[in-house]
Amino acid sequence: MLTAHVMYGLSGCLLVALGLRTTLLHASLLRRVLAINVMGAGVFMMLIAVAYRGLGVPPDPVPHALVLTGIVVAVSATALALALARRLHAEHDNG
Amino acid sequence: MNALMLLVFDGLLLLGIVSLAWASLASSDDRNSVILFMAFGLVLAVAWGRLMAADVALAEAAIGAGLSGALLLAAVRKRPAQMAAGRANNSHNPDRTGVNMLLQWSVTLLCAALAGTLAWALLDAFSSTPHETLPQAISANLEASGVSNPVTAVLLNFRAYDTLLELAVLLTAVLGILAMGRATAVYQPAGPIFDGLVRWLVPVLILTAGYLLWVGAHAPGGAFQAGATLAAAGVVLHLAGHPRIGLPAGFALRILMAAGVAVFLAVGLSLLVMGRPFLGYPPAWAGALILIIESAAMLAIAATLVLAFVGAFPRSTATRAASRQVREEEAR
Amino acid sequence: MADVIIWLVAIPLVGAIATLLLPRPATLLVVATGVATSTAAGLLLYSVAIQGALHYEVGGWTAGLGIALRADGLSALLLMMVALVMLAASVYSSAYFKEATQRERFWPLWLLLWTALNALLLSGDLFNLYVTLELLGLSAVALAALGGTHAAVAAALRYLLVGLLGSMMFLAGISLIYAGYGTLDMAQLAQTLAAGPVAWTALALMTAGLLLKTALFPLHFWLPPAHASAPAPVSAVLSALVVKAAFYLVLRLWLDVFADMVTPTAANLLGVLGAGAVLWGSWHALRAERLKLLAAYSTVAQLGYLFLFFPLLQALPPGAARELAAGGLVILALSHGFAKAGLFLAIGVIQQRSGHDNIQQLDGTAQRLPATTFAIALAGVALIGLPPSGAFLGKWQLLAAAVTSGQWLWLLVTAIGSLLAAAYIFRVLGHAFGHRPYPNQPVAVACEEWPALLLGATATLLLGLASAPLWTLLEIGS
Repeated sequence: MLTAHVMYGLSGCLLVALGLRTTLLHASLLRRVLAINVMGAGVFMMLIAVAYRGLGVPPDPVPHALVLTGIVVAVSATALALALARRLHAEHDNG
Repeated sequence: MNALMLLVFDGLLLLGIVSLAWASLASSDDRNSVILFMAFGLVLAVAWGRLMAADVALAEAAIGAGLSGALLLAAVRKRPAQMAAGRANNSHNPDRTGVNMLLQWSVTLLCAALAGTLAWALLDAFSSTPHETLPQAISANLEASGVSNPVTAVLLNFRAYDTLLELAVLLTAVLGILAMGRATAVYQPAGPIFDGLVRWLVPVLILTAGYLLWVGAHAPGGAFQAGATLAAAGVVLHLAGHPRIGLPAGFALRILMAAGVAVFLAVGLSLLVMGRPFLGYPPAWAGALILIIESAAMLAIAATLVLAFVGAFPRSTATRAASRQVREEEAR
Repeated sequence: MADVIIWLVAIPLVGAIATLLLPRPATLLVVATGVATSTAAGLLLYSVAIQGALHYEVGGWTAGLGIALRADGLSALLLMMVALVMLAASVYSSAYFKEATQRERFWPLWLLLWTALNALLLSGDLFNLYVTLELLGLSAVALAALGGTHAAVAAALRYLLVGLLGSMMFLAGISLIYAGYGTLDMAQLAQTLAAGPVAWTALALMTAGLLLKTALFPLHFWLPPAHASAPAPVSAVLSALVVKAAFYLVLRLWLDVFADMVTPTAANLLGVLGAGAVLWGSWHALRAERLKLLAAYSTVAQLGYLFLFFPLLQALPPGAARELAAGGLVILALSHGFAKAGLFLAIGVIQQRSGHDNIQQLDGTAQRLPATTFAIALAGVALIGLPPSGAFLGKWQLLAAAVTSGQWLWLLVTAIGSLLAAAYIFRVLGHAFGHRPYPNQPVAVACEEWPALLLGATATLLLGLASAPLWTLLEIGS
């Protein structure tokens, strides 16, 4: 177990908890979307820490592929959430 | 670089990341939150680079910080009606009312417990020797996969089915966005300085995208990073007020949107019909097939991400007068 | 013959692309895709019955390096249900959406949803499951938001956020599994998983994420508004299939991958939550003012019954009694799928004709729309669990297992739930058979009414009377 594993792995767990707390507590949609993205970043950090084998040592490529897929999925979901919110606000503005 | 310097670097980097995340989520202003989030994304990309995850770093910078940031910034643009309402509510923070201290503390405790449990499990996982069966299998089969970048091999060959479904996810999101029928605002045609910037920035972005696509076979890069860079070119054109955003209209646009999934399916099903497994590329053809699929995927990713940003099909017959009219409508 | 597995995913995806590129002949394309997919599902069911569990390695790479797709008796049965419900709902949708722009937006998303359902039921790889869950969630949200009203979009947005939270927790569990075991293949994991911090935390996280998606009490708050304001065919599929897919995953994880690790306490927890769902959902269904809300609350309740099986399956030792209980679970799930879909489609017909779905104002519906009212009655029989419906057999097995293992609480909950279900169904039928004679002739529109009728009939008659082969099918691969 490298020091980097511990540091990055624990930081990932911390980010997940941070994101979850804001998702549950905050009422604003935008903040919740940001919080879910932060949770995602935390999980990605855990995965990339798992893949790490040391500076200059080839890492495990599978978690990298998983994180790449996860990033694209996250941006798709974020875009859809923002579009739905935009539709709601437009209706609200028009009365 | 000795171990102590690395430790200090890691510590500072992680401190920065967690602080940015905290600041972004705790900020009272939406716009500040988004900007801090974009900074968070960029520092995260540095962390991925530090952890030898160059492909992910490129994707995080382009998609996670760049395009997500653009989407979020567009979402916090205040329209005149909102600004007036905002001034009236300035002192009253709507998000804290009703959430009493007990609830806040219990949720915080719950999340702390979750972090602790996750950490406990993760450390337990790290304490056993790392499992090398998959990485070894990947190295052993890398030559037969048609590319020499292991991440590209996993994404486009070993786990290509996941990538196919992921392109379908992207398409689904865009179809949902287009069905909502509300464009983000139309931007005014660019002034001379911005226009000059756009004139050289967009070709550079296109070139970079092509390079990233090509180099992805043997170095960090690939279809997703290339597609995101192309999408950035489209977003820049949209911000400069170009009505067509470099996208074709009508049927051609639909073909672009569907291209990623369609080409993937076409390759996979042709192989199936020829007696090979679905998406089981013959080793001699694997490199070429992967490049074909990646090119189509790059175009599809670019088109869908730009459409996601714009929020609606680009107006094919827009003129300056029409854009001004739309802006007036939005302001009302 | 194992190729049919990949065709089940490829055909609806091809159909989605086709309807996106060629919106004009879309209805024809959808019907063709639907028939082809249903045929493939039938072929798969037949192959599994003859040859046993099937698996397919995508790309030819061995499971672990590549992604393996697997089909056993359970998934083949669920795939058949998905195919039949989607086919019926597609026929209904072709008549439900009147404007061309609506249909143009609807069909690609509809077929993408079908792709997601099939891909999820066939997946044998944990991360692949995550991607299919996301595809399912996003397509379901996009379809739900097509309702267009403020309520529909707001409910869809809440559904999206809840779904994302669930997926994120699922992904966190996956990362722990990969950290601890170095593989994502479910069959390999089923053999190598051992009790420990990694396995327990991962199971807890993944289950929590899935419980959010399957709307188990008390994480059900997002379901009633979302299912009630979506367009009728979307509501049908959301209640009958989408939440069922998440439940299927809980079943897979608890009975298959993590089977050695499940403790009685954990199973009892699921049972208690299920009991809460049954009571809460049935009570609110009884008090609902709108038909669609009633049906949505009923979904919450019916899913609760499915979770009541968990403590029973845990308590029974492996053997004949356990097999019977497991079979009861599946037939209850299938019966609910068909019945709820039929109910929502019938409600859609009423809503389009009368412009509303208020229960109090259903006067005379039985005379104006006799086929639709009959469909509601058939679905209702299956929801209450009266013989000869499949649900009756399912609940019978539930009660039998409760008696055998001495867990009387579940017996009591089932009885109360069924009584409440009878109350709310008969309340609806009572209002539908109003006393005032209706002067005009009853109108029947084939495309709209037959799908609901057939779905209701399947739940009530077919599943009940022809269910014996089900138990032998479930033996395969379990």
